[in-house]
Amino acid sequence: MFKLKVSDAKLLRDMTTAISILVDEATFKIDPHSIKLRAMDPSRVAMVDFEWSKTVFEEYICTESTKMCINISELLKLLKRAGKDEVVELSLDEKTGRLQVKITGKYTRNFTMPTLEASEEEVPTPKLTFNVRAKATTGGLSQAIEDAQLVSDHVRIEADAEKIVFNATGDLMGATISLQKGSDTLLDLEAKESSKATFSLSYLSEIIKAAAATSDIATIEFSTDMPIKLDFQQAKEGKLMFYLAPRIETE
Amino acid sequence: MLVRPTEAEAEKTAKDAIFQRKTLLIIGNCWVHYLGRARSKLEPGERIVIIKADGSLLVHRPVGYEPVNWQPPGCIFHVQTKDDVFEVRAVRQKPRESVKVFFDKIYIISALSLTDSGQFTLYASEEDMHKAILLKPSLLEEDFKPISYEKKVEPGFVDVYGVDKKGKLVVVEVKRKTAGKEAALQLAKYIDAIKAKADREIRGILAAPNIAKDVQRLLATLGLEFKSLDPRKCAEVLKKTKTRKLEAFFEDETN
Repeated sequence: MFKLKVSDAKLLRDMTTAISILVDEATFKIDPHSIKLRAMDPSRVAMVDFEWSKTVFEEYICTESTKMCINISELLKLLKRAGKDEVVELSLDEKTGRLQVKITGKYTRNFTMPTLEASEEEVPTPKLTFNVRAKATTGGLSQAIEDAQLVSDHVRIEADAEKIVFNATGDLMGATISLQKGSDTLLDLEAKESSKATFSLSYLSEIIKAAAATSDIATIEFSTDMPIKLDFQQAKEGKLMFYLAPRIETE
Repeated sequence: MLVRPTEAEAEKTAKDAIFQRKTLLIIGNCWVHYLGRARSKLEPGERIVIIKADGSLLVHRPVGYEPVNWQPPGCIFHVQTKDDVFEVRAVRQKPRESVKVFFDKIYIISALSLTDSGQFTLYASEEDMHKAILLKPSLLEEDFKPISYEKKVEPGFVDVYGVDKKGKLVVVEVKRKTAGKEAALQLAKYIDAIKAKADREIRGILAAPNIAKDVQRLLATLGLEFKSLDPRKCAEVLKKTKTRKLEAFFEDETN
């Protein structure tokens, strides 16, 4: 049994949107301390790692650990109906096995939706050592990605001690976007060694755009031809991280 | 490899093979239930079931090149024996689909560690040939500069469009196979359409591995050129990139 009450409907909606970028059917683990989700997208190229501690909630009741699987886009439809300062309450009706979504504000709405069979898959954390660690504004990152998307569907990200460069080469056009260390976009940069890796722009753009709604600053970590980790700093006690596998050139 | 194993032997072989990600081959009398986006039942019969190292499953009947039931890579397998029936279940998470194969007789079960690092080469598609010209315009001719590709020109799309070293517009029609009359006429149509808009000299090039004799004459009549373009060479130009799976990084790098 659980009952989770969120007073910031917008934050809940933005977080749900960010998760929905990769996952259709989301299995959440709910325990007395937090709600978590770790899942890969169907093509198994990207992963989302989400956690909200009970302190994020106005009210958090969970007597025993449980798993709940729901269709995330259906939930999102309901959450889109909640206004900015409205309160959303999620609870499980144990008799029917349905999720109840109660939105209270100017008036009260009670929605119910089915829960699905929870996934048994345990997604591990990729074991990676990163040579580059950068802190950037999510707004600036979105812009850089949008620039690159004009010319190509993938981008090579290169970093040294001074800067990060986004290099996109399309069939006809090219783009080079440089972020200097200490600039308004690239707040901090540490590079143990110069590194570069190529990523799909459609994944990067969707992830960054959606996550930017929940976070102003992201920590990016990567190494040559290794996955990139994007950690979107949350204002409250919670985490939203994404991993994305690189594209590699084959002969 | 076990011939006519008992259910218990088969179960152990199958479990070990799946756990060790070997290729598992089971031949015997079986029936199959599928449940997922649709529902199907296959009545008992003698079949060949293959479980591959990547977690895909194929059920082949004695005839036909396509499997009758299958699951894509990444399935989770459950193996059990109940009432003398040996069952293999392959479950796919998204979309939720499951294939259950029940054997009452097993003729052969075999767990194989197969190594296959050979490359499969597919020569370029027409679209790849366009891309190859864009990447390496000299495939077509020296100093050719592409401007655009798949450019919309009524009545269709021009494959590649650019300028030659003298600054003349060049319209290229690419064919993967021997260029026929239709290709020549199509190219002529595009050139007419562009000429109607831009009053400048335009060259038309038909690029294909080879050309039929009578078409060569037609091309000459239409004032068009032919350039031999080998799809294999195009394929070599294209460095293929692919996205890796995140799972490749779950294991420790030091392993």
